[in-house]
Amino acid sequence: MSAQAPPPPPPPPPPAPSLVAADTVVHVDRVSKWFSGVVAVSEVSFAVSPGVTAVLGPNGAGKSTLLRLLCGLTAPSQGTVRIFGADPRIDATARGRIGLVPQQETMFDTHTPVAFVRLAAVLHGVAGPEATARRCLGIVELDPDDSRRIATYSKGMRQRVKVAASLVHDPAILVLDEPLTGLDPRQRRHMIDLFHRLGDEGRCVLVSSHVLDEVERFGSRVLVLAKGRLAATGDFRAIRDLMDDRPHRIQIVTDQPAVLAGALLGAGSVSGVRLISDDTVHIETTDVTRLRTLVATAAVDCGVHLREFAPLDDDLDSVFRYLVGGR
Amino acid sequence: MSIESAPLPTTEGTPAARRSVLVPLRALTMLLLRNQATRGRLVALAALGAVGVLVGAIVTDNSTLDATVAGTRFVNLYGLSLLTPVVALVFGAGALGDLVDDRSLVYLWLPPVPRWVIALAAWIATLIVCSPFTVGVSVLMAAATGGGAELIVGTLWASLLGLVAYSGLFTALGLRFRRALVWGFAYLLIWENFVAQAGDGAARLSILSYLRSVLSAYTGAGLELADRDLTLSFVVPMVVGLLGVAYTARRLHTTDVD
Repeated sequence: MSAQAPPPPPPPPPPAPSLVAADTVVHVDRVSKWFSGVVAVSEVSFAVSPGVTAVLGPNGAGKSTLLRLLCGLTAPSQGTVRIFGADPRIDATARGRIGLVPQQETMFDTHTPVAFVRLAAVLHGVAGPEATARRCLGIVELDPDDSRRIATYSKGMRQRVKVAASLVHDPAILVLDEPLTGLDPRQRRHMIDLFHRLGDEGRCVLVSSHVLDEVERFGSRVLVLAKGRLAATGDFRAIRDLMDDRPHRIQIVTDQPAVLAGALLGAGSVSGVRLISDDTVHIETTDVTRLRTLVATAAVDCGVHLREFAPLDDDLDSVFRYLVGGR
Repeated sequence: MSIESAPLPTTEGTPAARRSVLVPLRALTMLLLRNQATRGRLVALAALGAVGVLVGAIVTDNSTLDATVAGTRFVNLYGLSLLTPVVALVFGAGALGDLVDDRSLVYLWLPPVPRWVIALAAWIATLIVCSPFTVGVSVLMAAATGGGAELIVGTLWASLLGLVAYSGLFTALGLRFRRALVWGFAYLLIWENFVAQAGDGAARLSILSYLRSVLSAYTGAGLELADRDLTLSFVVPMVVGLLGVAYTARRLHTTDVD
């Protein structure tokens, strides 16, 4: 009997293709969250890489709950949340890499802005908390020497103090829950520039909003939440096109609604007409821009006097209802 | 400074979280002290203390009992049974409970500060803010009764131990229950002042019985259900206080933060 070499071990199977990109910072996998039987977030999965990502959804869509889950402030009822591969709920180091601007206005109102931001720096173990606090207040264009208490600050100024506090430890992930609330147009522009700059520098910036036009300026990546579900994800322009392609309802108030409706039906681009009253007609169309031109032309041609031209369903709720239709 | 020109914080020279916990402990204690010490609370509890001192002087002046015995009974009735637990409840329940209610706990919870540091800071802040209204006022009350040095020293120790125990207990309660004041008053009224009076077994689970034992041991004046071993009477309130801190830290790990 001769000695026989053991058969060579089979080659290891090739690694399964990963669904998570190499630069993924935040990974959410089939996450649900419910409170006392009310589902706030349902089966949401996505991955986020460095750069600015907007979380868009109407009020009550689950945006804030989702952001709280990302920060570990609450545990998912199902699924997993990972920040740099760690669970933020239990891993303090991972949590320490997050800068959060919470939605609530509450702050420590007896503090001055610099004291509030300095406290954040101290709690994050930043060396030189005073200098850091002053620098961060400068970034959001607030005076570090202002000795007034936060209680005396306007909503917009409080938002900026919160943003400054979120920056003290140079976070790799910034989670901003409706950060533009209360800001004037100039400050909005500055904040959006700042968020872009932070994203361009390699940070992962997650910004929530329920204002469509605001999100458009945040960047091209967007997560659309509706009724706790991820309704759409990807490039904002594609989602915007999808929104624009849906049927729109327009209310026109005029002295001769029947005459105008007849003229519009004959001109095309109108998929439905409904006479509501003696002076009001509702028009359904997929091309609002063309309809505007048609209405103006028809009004001149027919001698019709126009009093109102108003979209009936341009609010976010109806947009989201359309996006999640059939789900 | 414009956004364009202001340098953002950089990671160089700013890591640190591994530094001494004393820095965040001090910062948190100062913050919580400031939050707890609202004008309304301070005025109400100062009034409660002033009434105690005033009544203490009047009652013992008119008493036929020995001044030490009368003083011991009054300190037990007002200082230990009412003032110390109520003041500790009002401030302790608010230490972290106020932050839960107004949703500002997130600013302490998210940074990588150990949970026990937050719990300890809340306890220390409660001890500091309560001390003048409990230990200070109780000692003044004892002095006002003219009960002598034994009464003052006994009152000092008993109220101090009561403060340690109740502060830990009610700080934990403030984090655990949304209506911590109601739960706290229910505990004080139903358990400490009713159930615990029923017998020795129940009294063992009452903080008050240990405080009474300390007071009674120093003054020699007999008090109901005040026959605990003196060493045990010092140890149990301290253990209760520390258990409260431990529970608060544990609760901070598991609580949902708004």
